[in-house]
Amino acid sequence: MGRITRRYGFTIAGIAIGVAGIVALGAMGERIVRFIEGGDRFVLGQISVAGKGMGMGTGFTAGGMLPASALRAIAAVPGVSGVQGQVMLPLNPSTSQFMTLTQELIFGVDISVPTPNRAFPTLPVREGRTLRPGDRGAAVLGASFATSHGLAVGSTLTLEGEPFQVVGVLERTLTAPDRFVMVPIEDARRQWVAKDRMLRTIIASGAAAVNAADLNTGAAVGWNDGEDPDAVARRIAERVEGVNVQIPSELSALLRSSTAFFSALLGGIAALAFVIGGLSLANTVAAAVFERLRDFGVKRALGATDWQLGREVLAEALAVTLSGGAAGVVLAMLLGVSVDRWAARTGQQLFLFSGRLLGGSLVFSVLLGAAAAVYATLRVVRLSPAEAIRRGA
Amino acid sequence: MLEARELVKAYAAPGGAPIRALDGVSLRVPGGALAVVLGASGSGKSTLLNVLGLLEDADSGQVTLGGERVSALRRSARSRARGRYIGFVFQSFLLLPSLTALDNVLLAARYAGRAGADVRRRARELLAQFGVLERQDHYPPQLSGGEQQRVAFCRAVLNDPPVLLADEPTGNLDDANGRVILEALRARARAGAAVVVVSHHAEAATGADAVYRMRDGRLESTTGGEEGNPSRVPLPNRGEEGNPSRVPLSNRGEGHP
Repeated sequence: MGRITRRYGFTIAGIAIGVAGIVALGAMGERIVRFIEGGDRFVLGQISVAGKGMGMGTGFTAGGMLPASALRAIAAVPGVSGVQGQVMLPLNPSTSQFMTLTQELIFGVDISVPTPNRAFPTLPVREGRTLRPGDRGAAVLGASFATSHGLAVGSTLTLEGEPFQVVGVLERTLTAPDRFVMVPIEDARRQWVAKDRMLRTIIASGAAAVNAADLNTGAAVGWNDGEDPDAVARRIAERVEGVNVQIPSELSALLRSSTAFFSALLGGIAALAFVIGGLSLANTVAAAVFERLRDFGVKRALGATDWQLGREVLAEALAVTLSGGAAGVVLAMLLGVSVDRWAARTGQQLFLFSGRLLGGSLVFSVLLGAAAAVYATLRVVRLSPAEAIRRGA
Repeated sequence: MLEARELVKAYAAPGGAPIRALDGVSLRVPGGALAVVLGASGSGKSTLLNVLGLLEDADSGQVTLGGERVSALRRSARSRARGRYIGFVFQSFLLLPSLTALDNVLLAARYAGRAGADVRRRARELLAQFGVLERQDHYPPQLSGGEQQRVAFCRAVLNDPPVLLADEPTGNLDDANGRVILEALRARARAGAAVVVVSHHAEAATGADAVYRMRDGRLESTTGGEEGNPSRVPLPNRGEEGNPSRVPLSNRGEGHP
């Protein structure tokens, strides 16, 4: 391998640059794919219900208030296994409520009932612990939120003038929870009132009988084993008044259509990366073979058969593309890690170097390099030894 | 015995009639003979050597080695024949720059299917014989022209080929190195090989068993070789068997392929 590296230094460097391009762009694509797939798994893991109308509620439902009576009615619908009231609020209400990669949310959960989401019954904790029943003024932070705000377990976070002690930080999921501040639902309700002047006015005026337990922006609903979640969702919509019920499969389709632009962009980037990187790689390998035309002519003059020559070229091409591919992967990872270190200051992660990406890129490089080498070798062996020596001189 | 019959080879010329580099050339070089083909640049002598060495196909005619019609062999068989029976010495040495002097010599054995300590020892003996053993680990760009040609000669004879073909072997050498190479070629002939040298330098013909002159693709005349041994220098006999350029040489060393 050392001899190969010495002889083909520039070729390996050329391949490495091509592969680095593929891997870097692929890693950005993987990052977006992980986000979309994570969202999809989440919405398919539960039935999301919100109150009818518009309100402060945000996240996946963007509906109005969902009172405690509605939660009880939902729980009574046949096929429902559990209901968890939730409050989802934008941390900063002045920003758009459109769900983006960067939106920070306060997520209040009713810890007294199990989380019904089948895909995410718990979120993995990197540091500290999850919320427990009875917690007040405690927060578990998403990984990106903690990084961008410089917070860790033991830190204090102030929201609307209220101090929260950070008791846990979640593992990075590369999905929406990375930017969550998870708090007990009681604390989240106070945050809602503090953020929403209209709600404060209504409560103060006594115009509507609102208890604390009525302040839910939505609910996560689970279904019994063997039930069709879409059928259960439709049943809830039929039997409970004043609710917006998201049909899981429809919400998944909606999520996918809303991210169709990203998916298309991603496909374009990937195609571009593979075409540009692949062409660069194939061209480099083929050029490396053609550059040695004279050498091949000499070898054939010395008695090398087409098969011997082809085997030699192929073995060298494989070694070169493997070296270049590995160097390209390392180069892309160095680049990605450096950029992500810089981006982490704002809680972002732009690259995801998944195993399938790295393995796929290496296999792609080697196969393409071998194909280019075979093509070039077939061109070379078609020449007579004398012609190869003449042209290579 | 190396023999060529009625070789014809033409190259396409842009916008004109094809150029006949070989125009019915016949030649017979028995083992133990040194044949020198003189001629100006473009006369076709390098093409003749390429066709004799199976580096290039003739349009018609045939090449036989030890009675076997090697020009009719399939590509892979021709490659093997080159590796086992033919050694080449080129004007520009054609050493592989990425290999050391020793590895360049050993390359000949690799494609002839030979390997092992004996082959390495033989390669070193040859390098020592030609005064370049101390340069065995050097790469071609680190060697002088004379040294490179001596290494190339070692590569050409490592397998003891019964046929040795040299294309302007002294063309890039000074007089002293040129004499070394020419003497080595003569020695190979004396050892029983059929040796063909093409050159445009008349000095290359010194000591040759036969000297030919190539002109416009034809072996149309000869000059004498070594004055002291005129009997070994037959002239082309245009009338022999209706083949104007077929020239029998001495029969020394018969028995090689």
